[in-house]
Amino acid sequence: MRFRWPFGLLLACLLPLTAQAQARTPLVVEAALDRQVIAPLLTAFEHAYPDIALYYHDRSTLEVDRRAREVHPAPDVVISSAMPWQLARVNEGLAQPLTSPAARHWPQWAKWRNEVFGFTFEPIVTVYRLDLARYMKPPATHADLQAILTTQQARLNGRVTTYSPSRSGVGYTLFQQDARYSPRFWDLVAAMGAAEVSLEDNTQAMLDGLSDGKYWVSYNLLGSYAMYWAQTHPEVIVQVPQDYALVMMRMAFVHRDAPHPMAAKAFVDFLLGVEGQRILAGSTPLFSVLPEVIGPYTAQRLRDQVGERLYPIPINASLLAFVDPLRREAFMARWRREISILEDGD
Amino acid sequence: MIAVDGTLKRRLGVWLLATVGVLGAFLLVEAYTSAQRAANRAYDSQLEAAGLTVAEAIQWQDGQPIVEMPAAAFQILATDQQERVFYAILDAAGREVTGNLDGAVTPAWQRAAKAGPVWMTVSYHGTSIRLHGRELTSAGWESLDPVQIWVGHTLSGREALAGDLFERTLTRFLAMVLVAALLMLLAIRTALAPVRRLRQSLRQRDADDVRPLHAQVPGELYDMAETLNALFARQREGRDALLRFTADASHQLRTPLAGLQSTSELALQSEQPDEWRHALETVHASAARTSRLAGQLLSLARLRHASEGTRDTLDLSAVLRDTLMEWAERDAAQHHDLGLAPLPAEPVRIQGESWSLREMIGNLIDNALRYTPPGSEITLELERHPGSVTLSIEDSGPGVSDELLGRLHQPFERGGRQDTQGSGLGLAIVDSIARRHDAALEARNTPGHGLWVGVHFPLSAETN
Repeated sequence: MRFRWPFGLLLACLLPLTAQAQARTPLVVEAALDRQVIAPLLTAFEHAYPDIALYYHDRSTLEVDRRAREVHPAPDVVISSAMPWQLARVNEGLAQPLTSPAARHWPQWAKWRNEVFGFTFEPIVTVYRLDLARYMKPPATHADLQAILTTQQARLNGRVTTYSPSRSGVGYTLFQQDARYSPRFWDLVAAMGAAEVSLEDNTQAMLDGLSDGKYWVSYNLLGSYAMYWAQTHPEVIVQVPQDYALVMMRMAFVHRDAPHPMAAKAFVDFLLGVEGQRILAGSTPLFSVLPEVIGPYTAQRLRDQVGERLYPIPINASLLAFVDPLRREAFMARWRREISILEDGD
Repeated sequence: MIAVDGTLKRRLGVWLLATVGVLGAFLLVEAYTSAQRAANRAYDSQLEAAGLTVAEAIQWQDGQPIVEMPAAAFQILATDQQERVFYAILDAAGREVTGNLDGAVTPAWQRAAKAGPVWMTVSYHGTSIRLHGRELTSAGWESLDPVQIWVGHTLSGREALAGDLFERTLTRFLAMVLVAALLMLLAIRTALAPVRRLRQSLRQRDADDVRPLHAQVPGELYDMAETLNALFARQREGRDALLRFTADASHQLRTPLAGLQSTSELALQSEQPDEWRHALETVHASAARTSRLAGQLLSLARLRHASEGTRDTLDLSAVLRDTLMEWAERDAAQHHDLGLAPLPAEPVRIQGESWSLREMIGNLIDNALRYTPPGSEITLELERHPGSVTLSIEDSGPGVSDELLGRLHQPFERGGRQDTQGSGLGLAIVDSIARRHDAALEARNTPGHGLWVGVHFPLSAETN
């Protein structure tokens, strides 16, 4: 008898834990969204839904897309910044619709079919190193950037960086959208090519290069990451282009074959709900979409600051054109031609 | 007894419902298909526009079609309903140059599209989609191969539009039904108003009011109103006859009673026992007549109002013979030549009441005895005809004037004679009994003889 009670106590301590672990619904989120950026929201979600065990996997856009298409069991929620790919998956029927009040009241321009929702509002920015300002007027517009690339080619040679359209879905989407807005975009590509632009896979790599001094100017970065970085790295300056600024939205959908649909819907609802959006606006640089949410990072506040020249990439079927293989091929062919067009001349 | 078998309102309502139901079913089926057709037309033209937009973007390079898919084409395809979109561009060999249909376009569809633009609703991975295919004959520098463009989308927009159109038709139809029902109710009320008026005018009549109805009725009710009027007329006649009968009966009874009174008064004033005796004899005879009169009145009233008695099959010949034998032995018949014509060989079977037939024959004989002078011949005869038999009595008396012939069967009609001891009820009783046997009374003068009275009996089925 003397030896029994500690064992019983141990058992009593363990039982609730295991029972609780068994009762918790797992929820697998595959996301192309840095965990450290979204962490406040994840924490709040876990706090609000203690019976859901959240497994959040932060991956590249291409990997997220592959997992959404191929992996079994399918992830519950898919989040990605590669908007055309997300829309293509929804068009294939990989998403299931949400009927919650939050989903129904979500702005029409930021959702498609009530199946996929753009829940952030991230401006695309140009970032330059403070050093650059000593030698030239920092570029405030796309035209400015092209001008300094042309006029200060010697000084900026090798110090320019942007997304690789072939390796990054986000970068490809941004360039496609740029090309839709102005044919002069190709002049900019040619100018970047002449300055021996370095093509990076993601925003973080570009920011690292800027802080290292490797790059002086960087084009088409995710404003959310850049602004977050600039808070702790005073040597980088974030410029929202003054002529037009693209806005990228992270898109989230509940997978059609989600093993835990209730938990998945709860998660997306939380993303779209006022509480989740308030966390986005207050504790992350992802910018809230909802106009009624107040905080330092809201779409409304951004509009107030940079005016009406924000051009969100539209969430509609036209995005499908970007993932058309022929169109992508044609675009890449043109990209390769334009980026080397001035080199040949030299 | 009057049993309520539904109401006219309900019957008309049921018919209206049936009419509306049948017509409505046809109408709604038609509305549904036409709504779908309209929705398909509207969205098919969008498919066509998208196909043409894609066609515009096709170019040739190194013998291969290349196309920079126009973003606008996708937006046209998706429509404002945000349909899922599907597309494929096939080269001359049927290979998918680009698209997201995964080779779902079958060779059969390709052949169809070769002949001209096609639209079809197909199932793709469990989802119904509408596909549009068109062939584009190219005019490139290097190639003249045709290219096929296939575009499609899901059906929610069409379903929503068709549902919307159908819903509108349905709403209109229901409103129409409602209006029709209200109008029908109104029509029913209006149509039944004459019936209601008739009912009210009937209800307001006094119990003994038998005047004809004066009402404006529609054609359908004319027959009923006429029938009612005929009924009133019969009632009126019956009542008149009753009043007349009562008046006549009182009158007939009063005369002998007055005679009795005066005879007895005269006798009371006299001191002569002889006169008393004479008066008593007169009183006795008069009382006997009065008693017989009262008996006949009673029998007539009973015959007229008594319900149908039980009828037996009986031989009319036997009844006639027996009754005649009985009468022939009476004192009253001693001054007349009472005879019977040869009876039919076979029994004459009719349905009847024995007692009333005896009464009838007795009355006929009594009548003949009373209204003919002594020594007259009275002959009874039974004559068979196909389907009927006639019992007749003929006398060699003075006969009756022609104008009176038709009234002979009425009570207290004495054939214009005041010189007899008859009550005038005999033929009336005969007539009543004849009616009870569905027989007809006929009276006529026979030239050279006197009166001929016949009763035509229908023969019972057996004898036929």
